[in-house]
Amino acid sequence: MVDAKLQPADFNTTVRPTWCPGCGNFSIWGATKNALAGLELEPADFAVVWGIGCHGNGADFLKAAGFHGLHGRALPVATGIRLANHRLKVIVDVGDGDGYGIGGNHFIHSMRRNLDLTLLGHNNQVYGLTTGQTSPTSDQGFATPSTPSGVIEKPVNPIALALASDCTFVARGFAGDIAHLSDLIAQGITHSGFALIDILQPCVTFNKRNTYQWFRERVYKLDDDGHDSTDKRAAFDRALEMETEERIGLGVFYREQRPTYEDGLPQLAAGPLVDQSIEDVDISGLIEHYA
Amino acid sequence: MTNDRIVWKIAGQAGFGIKVAGQIFARTFARAGYHVFDYVEYPSLIRGGHNVITARVDRDPFYSHMLPVDVCVALDRASIEIHTSDMRSGGTIIHDPAATRFLPDQLARDDVCLCDVPLVEIAETNGSKIMANSVALGATIGMVGFDFDVLAGVLTDTYGRKGSAVVEANIAAARAGHDHVKSNCLECGHTLSGVKEAQPERIVIDGNEATAMGAVRAGCKLYAAYPMTPASSVLHFMAANERDYGLVVKHTEDEIAAVNMTIGAAFAGVRAMCATSGGGFSLMVEGLGLAGVSESPIVIGLFQRPGPGTGLPTWTAQGDLRFAIHAAQGEFPRIVLAPGDKQECFAFAAEAFNLAERFQTPVIIISDMFLQESHSTVDPSELDDVAIDRGKLVRDPRAVPSDGEYLKYEITDDGVSPRVPPGMGATLIANSYEHDEYGWATEDAATVRRMMDKRARKLDAAASVVPQSKLHGPPDSDVTIISWGSPKGPILEAMRWLEQESVSVNFLQVTTVHPFPAERVSQILEGAGVTICIETNQTGQLAGLIREHCLFDVDHRLGKYDGRPFFPEEIVQRVMEVTGSGRRQAAAG
Repeated sequence: MVDAKLQPADFNTTVRPTWCPGCGNFSIWGATKNALAGLELEPADFAVVWGIGCHGNGADFLKAAGFHGLHGRALPVATGIRLANHRLKVIVDVGDGDGYGIGGNHFIHSMRRNLDLTLLGHNNQVYGLTTGQTSPTSDQGFATPSTPSGVIEKPVNPIALALASDCTFVARGFAGDIAHLSDLIAQGITHSGFALIDILQPCVTFNKRNTYQWFRERVYKLDDDGHDSTDKRAAFDRALEMETEERIGLGVFYREQRPTYEDGLPQLAAGPLVDQSIEDVDISGLIEHYA
Repeated sequence: MTNDRIVWKIAGQAGFGIKVAGQIFARTFARAGYHVFDYVEYPSLIRGGHNVITARVDRDPFYSHMLPVDVCVALDRASIEIHTSDMRSGGTIIHDPAATRFLPDQLARDDVCLCDVPLVEIAETNGSKIMANSVALGATIGMVGFDFDVLAGVLTDTYGRKGSAVVEANIAAARAGHDHVKSNCLECGHTLSGVKEAQPERIVIDGNEATAMGAVRAGCKLYAAYPMTPASSVLHFMAANERDYGLVVKHTEDEIAAVNMTIGAAFAGVRAMCATSGGGFSLMVEGLGLAGVSESPIVIGLFQRPGPGTGLPTWTAQGDLRFAIHAAQGEFPRIVLAPGDKQECFAFAAEAFNLAERFQTPVIIISDMFLQESHSTVDPSELDDVAIDRGKLVRDPRAVPSDGEYLKYEITDDGVSPRVPPGMGATLIANSYEHDEYGWATEDAATVRRMMDKRARKLDAAASVVPQSKLHGPPDSDVTIISWGSPKGPILEAMRWLEQESVSVNFLQVTTVHPFPAERVSQILEGAGVTICIETNQTGQLAGLIREHCLFDVDHRLGKYDGRPFFPEEIVQRVMEVTGSGRRQAAAG
């Protein structure tokens, strides 16, 4: 469509971001634009579905064909888009409360389904848009307006949950490392099958515990530590480190090539459903069955 | 005695193959040119419990089931005890004494004949006791003096995929049942007079099959659902045909996923549908509102059963009319269609997709277990008249502005904006938040008002093109019945009987229940005689809508809320009661 190579800024709209200064969402937005430009994805090539939360306001800031849906329900909307037009790359942006809490059922089942979707989990371990309540990924003991005496239950471990749900691409990024995150997002989009990129995203306003500094003291690159991303047991061990060793791996925990859900649908082989004519469907075969 | 009509019942515990026996019975008579109606009553159990199929076959067209039963096959003792009171005087109960341990002197009526047929023994002699239902079918055919070869043909088609040995054993078992009755039960024959003229070939379908055929015919490309009675067999039908008809069927993790997948697919440019009953619809409600504000053209089937909660899962009700009209927070346009028979199930399903795409808003098809799971003979030529209208869907990429200036929610006179799906090069945003013309979220008061007004205008435009209410019977009548949905059949049947009693009656059938056809309903009711509103609910929800929109109080109501459909006899009785009450003195309002 255009001769000039796409630049990240080409994915800006005229709406300026409303996130708090220092919000991790700026980095995720930037990394997403880097990945889209790097993969040379034109507006005709992809769609983005957003949940509800601070992250979801990004729907207005990213130039794309987008759908800003309901709290927790981005994945089924994305599934519908992908089934209707599997020529499109479909990227799904969710928050931790949005994607791992209220949308938890869709999260689990979408992963085992293995549609070719890329899920970006904006994980700030707190509810920002509703002013600072606990989230499914908040640490135990975290005091918030809805848990003034501290969170009693254990947090959801998105990486371990994804591994247990047979997700075919499981990765973790950090909003404090845009270059690394950009590469992970690009890998996720390129992956054939469901890709989860859980993104550690400091909330500078409501989460004074899991700060950029807190993360920097704990994160390390899986690639630099000899991790084999084809070894699922090793991936589980790495996923559990966050709970036991206060050590947080970044990068691809696990990847495998497995037939996608779309591969199991011969009715998609001839091309996307959206291209198929519906003008004159012959139902005489159906009628004959009931004579 | 010779008849034009037989009412037949088969009853017993689940697991006897009662449902398949009912299908075979209906198809047998349909093939011979008869009109057939059957409906099933069953508990929410897989085995055990009391299952009943009641079928009526008639030489002439008719509209519903009726009460007095001519021949009843009672597969267990309880079935005799329960259904003796349903029998016509002179009717016959076929049973197997070895299974029922029931003696003739135990029968509560002396005007009903008990016909002993060793169903199980005959079935075992021919291979297996599971064929007792085929023996019962053969016995029934023998009792009504019907052509056995037609039954054999239907048995062949029904069991063909299980192999020729199964087919032959079932035909032999049915033949033995037939011959037993022919040689032992001579006094209690119920001979059908037979069909004289050549009849068009008719098919036997239930409301779910008619709905699904309408959806396939209209080009539905994605069907997403979570199983729930009485909508589950739509899912089965669509799944069985998905590869042949190029559609994708998804059994989802819950109804929330089903409605949101449907929205996603519609946004991406295909026709998409989901269906459920009240409990699942409750989970879909937030998605319904999303479809409204994001202007996504989806079709939702709401096939009612008695609620609240789990309610009576396998029975019928019309308790969700107000729910369908008011579900979801906020105000947005929706269209709610209420089919009343199988032909309307097909036609409204197909039209629902046109309306959804023309007005880019959700369309709900509201029906119930009685219509969706009862079978009727339908002339296939009535399942043909479908035109596809995709509204303002943009399908030519050259029509898409390349500069990103496409306005997903462009303000237009009729409220409908050009619809460009993703993948055509346009950048756009569909939004659950209130938004401006581009789709970006806004809280600007003037923009909010303009968008609310834009969406509301779509319903104004839709009102004149949605299915219009139908007035059945003579325009000037002493009694006007008003109803919606599945009572249509029993009401039309009752009207025929009332005509024979010289009661002048007509019937206003409200087909599109939202937007409410206030003008047409007012026009008919203002000039009407005694009015009676009939619906399968407790509170009279249609009567309430008439009061709200037309400032008109119907004179009488007939409600039923015990899970059972109306019998025409009940309607006749109520109309006869109220005709003595005189004409309205003055129009209300």
